[in-house]
Amino acid sequence: MSNTVVIWIGLPIALSFLLVSLQKYQKITAVLATIIPLILAGLAVLFSNDLVLSIAGRQFFLEDSLVLFGRTIQITAGQLGMVSVLYLVCFAWNAFSRLFIVSQWFNSLSLLITALWVSVQFINPFIYSAVVIELIALTSVPLLSPRGTPAKNGIIRFLSMQTLALPLILVSGWMVTGIETSPSAQALVLRGAILVLIGFILWVGIFPLHSWLPMLAEESHPWTISFLLVLMQVGLALFFLKFLNQYGWLRNLPELDTFLKWIGALCILSAGVIAAFQSNLNRMLGYFFLAETGYLAFSMAFRGSGGLEVLTMTLFPRILAHWALAVSLASMQRITRSETLTFEVLKGIIRRYPFASVLLLASILNLIGMPLFSLYPTKHIVWKLISTDNLPLSLLSAVGVLGMLTMFLRLFSTMINPGNQNHQTGSEESNVEEIGLIIMVVVILMVIILPGLFPNVLSRPVQELLISFENLT
Amino acid sequence: MSEILTQIPIYLVLLAALVNLTRRQWTINLVALTVQYLFLFPLVRSVLPMELALIQPFTGLMVTLILYLTLVSVGGIEKVKLNIKPTSGEIFRALAGLLLLVMLQSFLPGLQREVFPLVPSDHLFASMGLILIGLLQLGTISEPFYIAIGILTFLSGFQLLYYALDYSYLLEALLVTVNLLLAIVGAFFIVKNAESETT
Repeated sequence: MSNTVVIWIGLPIALSFLLVSLQKYQKITAVLATIIPLILAGLAVLFSNDLVLSIAGRQFFLEDSLVLFGRTIQITAGQLGMVSVLYLVCFAWNAFSRLFIVSQWFNSLSLLITALWVSVQFINPFIYSAVVIELIALTSVPLLSPRGTPAKNGIIRFLSMQTLALPLILVSGWMVTGIETSPSAQALVLRGAILVLIGFILWVGIFPLHSWLPMLAEESHPWTISFLLVLMQVGLALFFLKFLNQYGWLRNLPELDTFLKWIGALCILSAGVIAAFQSNLNRMLGYFFLAETGYLAFSMAFRGSGGLEVLTMTLFPRILAHWALAVSLASMQRITRSETLTFEVLKGIIRRYPFASVLLLASILNLIGMPLFSLYPTKHIVWKLISTDNLPLSLLSAVGVLGMLTMFLRLFSTMINPGNQNHQTGSEESNVEEIGLIIMVVVILMVIILPGLFPNVLSRPVQELLISFENLT
Repeated sequence: MSEILTQIPIYLVLLAALVNLTRRQWTINLVALTVQYLFLFPLVRSVLPMELALIQPFTGLMVTLILYLTLVSVGGIEKVKLNIKPTSGEIFRALAGLLLLVMLQSFLPGLQREVFPLVPSDHLFASMGLILIGLLQLGTISEPFYIAIGILTFLSGFQLLYYALDYSYLLEALLVTVNLLLAIVGAFFIVKNAESETT
């Protein structure tokens, strides 16, 4: 038990299976799935300086590695910060899961998926983590595609893309073995880099291979899909940094930063332009993730000019922004009793549900990066970096942001316009906002606005997060 | 003569994958999947010791069994009708699959020389053939059962290739888990579709 791998990977996996067996007792599984990740995150913070804990004169030592099938899985004290972030995500989504009608497997599988994402960061050789990512995709299926409805195209595409990425990453690992000692192998370096980058493009869903993102967001409950995508975005960002940290040939490839910048601009542009013409809020969730992937790509491309600091600073605000958007979309779905939030459903809704509507609008403004909100300080830095670096990239990104603003204005206009009166008197809707919802909205608004005014509140605790990437920091 | 004998499993594996790509009869597909996994054994055996080579066909049979039991439970297993005329779609898929294999055969020497010099050419042909047929399957149909078969074919081709490049017990354990989970996901989709059709 006194091993970091057992505590932060083995134990949660075992507990998630226990929760599966307790499936009938939904309240108990929800409470346990909330408490367990919180404890694990707390313990990770506690041991993040040193794997020794002194209590009442007694010292508890933790080992930092475990050998499994001849390979080592290692979690050192310096890496526990990453572990705590992943378990905090799990906690945040499980804590509110009872408020919404999500899959009965959400609590147990969310814990399992978080533990698997933790293992992705620490398996040696790290290339094998590609198979764990495939396992995560397969484990996510019951959450994304609830029973009673046929399997839709989004989930099929998602599974296909995740599977296609697996061999690319594994073969790249084999192809570049020993490349560090033969610097003349430029062709191999290029092939390896292309395989790695295409693998990540398939995993994350970068334009034009992003179609599964909005489709999946439309088919699934916003609470579930946002949880999976947030974990995936954080997990894959850290995993890509691991590639950069370990592979000097990739890190030093002169074209890599240019490529990442173009990927970033393309993601922001495509997400913004397509979102501007959308009239389904569920699909927009997918486009917000696409745009955020763009900002992550920019942060990594500008790692020589403080991009990684921006990435760590933006970690918690970004998670909170997606969480707030998920709360607002799931609340809207609950109060309108509608499976998909089309503009038709949202006509005049601000008059009936002002608090939930304000939360939705504020969450979207936050994700766009408007001043006063928590994501503004970091996005402002990224925009500044882009504008001083390359004019075409700044123009493309600006068009993307304008597209998002257009979408916001269209949504705002729909929400204040009474339009079809049927929705005002619809018997299916509950026409009064509960006091609990109102309090929640006020608290969430404070959570997404205060870090915009005081950026250090959320960035200080994660300043040392990337310390284990010694070649990047 | 011995060379012909060693090539029989390769062609049987690829033929089974082509049948799965072409035919849309669940019983035939399950038989073809079984043949595909069984005849992978001699190919895997050529690069791995006996005890390790047994893992993939054994996993494949487990996968097929899971899919078979699920299809039985939803009443999807019907008597095989062999005298059905092939549809235009089936002819198209069969020709596309054959074309891919012919193209692969012509590009194989270059691929082997430039990228996989350590992999025997027969082994490379079988593995890349399975990968390409699996990809074609993924691209030509959206029915979950066939998507599952497409992914399984793609993965078995990749596993076959990777065995000749590198072997790790941890990776093998993870890939076996992926195959079994994939079968469970396929079964989940079959049940879901059956449920939604009855409601």
